Amino acid sequence: MGTLFARGLGAVLLSAVILATATVATPASAEMVINRGFGSSPDTLDPHLNFGAREGWIQDDMYEGLVASDAKAEIGPGAAEKWEVSDDGLTWTFHLRDGLKWSNGDPLVAQDFVNGVIRQLDPKTASPRAYYYYSTVKVAGAAEFNEAEGGDPKSVGISAPDEKTVVIKLLAPQPNMLYLMGSYHIPPLHTPSFEKVGGDFIKPENIVNNGPYMMKENVPQSHVTLVKNPNYWDAANVKADKVVYHVTEDDQTELKRFKAGELHVTNEVPSDQLEQLKKEYGEQLRITTYVEAQYLSFNITKAPFDDIRVRKALAYAIDRDVLQNKILKAGYQPNCGYSPPNDPRYPQPHVEECDMPKEERIAKAKALLQEAGFGPDKPLKVTIDSTTDNTAKRQAEGVALMWKQIGVDAKVNAQEFQAWMDTFYNGGWEVLNDNLVADMPGPESHVVYMQPSAESGYNWKNDDYEAAMEKASQQSDIAERYKYLAEAEKILLDYYLTVPLNVTTSRHLVSPKLKGWEDNMLDVHPSKYMWIEG
Amino acid sequence: MLAFSIRRIIGAIPTLFVLIAISFFVMRLAPGGPFSANRKLTEAIIANLNKAYHLDEPVWMQFGRYLWGLLHFDFGPSMKYRDFSVTELIVHGFPVSLEVGFWAMILATVVGIALGIAGALRRNGATDFSAGAIAMIGIAIPTFVIGPLLQIFFGLKLGWLPVAGWDGSLNAKILPIVVLALPNIAYISRLTRGSMIETLRTNYVRTARAKGIGARRVIWKQALTGAMLPVVAYLGPATAITVTGSVIVEQIFGIPGIGRYFVEGAANRDYPLVMGVTILYGGIVILANIVTDVARGIIDPKVSYE
Repeated sequence: MGTLFARGLGAVLLSAVILATATVATPASAEMVINRGFGSSPDTLDPHLNFGAREGWIQDDMYEGLVASDAKAEIGPGAAEKWEVSDDGLTWTFHLRDGLKWSNGDPLVAQDFVNGVIRQLDPKTASPRAYYYYSTVKVAGAAEFNEAEGGDPKSVGISAPDEKTVVIKLLAPQPNMLYLMGSYHIPPLHTPSFEKVGGDFIKPENIVNNGPYMMKENVPQSHVTLVKNPNYWDAANVKADKVVYHVTEDDQTELKRFKAGELHVTNEVPSDQLEQLKKEYGEQLRITTYVEAQYLSFNITKAPFDDIRVRKALAYAIDRDVLQNKILKAGYQPNCGYSPPNDPRYPQPHVEECDMPKEERIAKAKALLQEAGFGPDKPLKVTIDSTTDNTAKRQAEGVALMWKQIGVDAKVNAQEFQAWMDTFYNGGWEVLNDNLVADMPGPESHVVYMQPSAESGYNWKNDDYEAAMEKASQQSDIAERYKYLAEAEKILLDYYLTVPLNVTTSRHLVSPKLKGWEDNMLDVHPSKYMWIEG
Repeated sequence: MLAFSIRRIIGAIPTLFVLIAISFFVMRLAPGGPFSANRKLTEAIIANLNKAYHLDEPVWMQFGRYLWGLLHFDFGPSMKYRDFSVTELIVHGFPVSLEVGFWAMILATVVGIALGIAGALRRNGATDFSAGAIAMIGIAIPTFVIGPLLQIFFGLKLGWLPVAGWDGSLNAKILPIVVLALPNIAYISRLTRGSMIETLRTNYVRTARAKGIGARRVIWKQALTGAMLPVVAYLGPATAITVTGSVIVEQIFGIPGIGRYFVEGAANRDYPLVMGVTILYGGIVILANIVTDVARGIIDPKVSYE
């Protein structure tokens, strides 16, 4: 009995030891998982339809373009190992790496990249991003092909002369071409899966892709799970086995999940708690200037906003520092130009009131209003149309407050996003609380956007602006190009079609366990460069 | 009873049709469309999108196309979540909402009835007051306050349960079920208490007591059955609401259910998605009402199926 008991005890102890070793051994062999907060559920992960920057994170992990962003959002070789551009800046030739494969082992060839662009441009695809190949970057024949069904794909200026070469022909030089081709902007198409299942090729059970990761699960409103792609050319340097993008619609919950260690990085940080979180988290809170500018736009087709004195007076009344640092407190930077100032090579023009002392600004604003026929007995009435987004609304209310100080009867009309858009297109608005996110660093996305050809909603046509933009688009030298872009931006600012307010920030909480994360202004963070330690 | 149920189900078809027609046309009165999301879209691209989703056709033709699809159980594509059809979104999301909602209703019914009976039997005593207090808290404090509080306490302070997320584990389900159950516990306990007190005063209960039937038996067999009538009437619609998900609870706890699609679908003008969830919700409400009527017939001998 005694021995039996001892033997039993021995067995229990032994199994306990085995169990203990097993538990100790698990972490070493456990897979490395990165948990990333994603905000609301992705709209689409179809690489040729996607328009969203957040969806772009997943896309950067799943697809590799001809060139690709590194952790600092700098563009370098991707599927192409080298490239050259012709002297006139119109022909770009990309040379693919040797032995590239799709995730299922199929060879990845130059024609796959051509097919990707053609699918995006095909009117039947109805891709909201098709414009991409005929706005800032102007691929020959792209606009015509997109605008009418039944066009010949060969008429588009992208071709694959052999299995390893992609040639892109442009209508105008574009020195920022690599930024526009970078990352998820030019994903290849796995033609056999597309022919078999159509748009359903993006479903986890069908997916064949060429990036560092493959999709394993896509559960709407819950998560997207990616696993390492063994057929990726640089798989040896991909550290994490798995990346999970968690849908985190509520930023307060996301913050709590980060605190509980369920997330390594958040998509957002509640903007009204920045100061407190800075104290609590120090280095883990990352606030980085983003390529988005916020500004007010005037409806120049509507009196009295057709009068430049009225527009100027309203612009003069705004104190950008007070608005950003005392009212908004979201970490945004005041901006005196239309485009976000993030390229030191660009001589950004400023609105004149930026350098004026407050008293002078206010005095001039009042004088201008009086000249335009407004005064205490006949106050100017203004409505600012804003979205219901908390920060946007607060900003509009701050502006309205400043306008009240010069005797303007200002109010804010906050509407949900789609209704706000409708107001803009129907032309019923007076002042729009407006914003634009750039596709690349530098001023060009913004300045191009204000060309009437790119955006009709502002009803603005200016020959000098068009002329400067036309000149800019012919320059392949970046300094020359910037000179004309600055000229155009100056015309825009002097016209007071818009009033610059700020440049926004991207905000994340990054766990000290997550290594390889680099803050950058494009807010691009390929998982390929990240790993977990500790 | 079977004939009654079948009659009611057939009778529900015109109701559903009216619901579909009204939702379809009213939704299109709202300003903005599904693709006004990015101002950068050129007219050619918007035209391509409208064509792909048949939005360039007259509304009556779109309605016909939609009805035709419905007959084939096709709810159409989601315009916002372009990787999924509405059917796929519902197939993914509804079981989750149903699971959370079902357990929340079970919890609410059991706890609510128990609290209600306890309150009714020990009227104005300590039990009654504390049950009343719990009920008032459940009704007065909204879920978007109680949810985050429970997250902080059980997720962050104690670390017993995950803050949010849906990994299929039991732990992840506990908080959302409790939060969803709380307001229902409150209503059910108040209803049970009130109706129980009333029933205990009725003639048939007094007669039963006078005949010498024990207190316990009177309460559980006679009084409770009668007292359940208003509770059953409440349970029908409440279950329909709860199993189709709550947008607040789903967002706070990151639950991939369908509750958010009512709000999000409407905000994004995702017409097929809103239609899909409206039809589902309408169907469940109709079904819940039929079940309630059948249940009332079983409990209440005065109700006839004719």
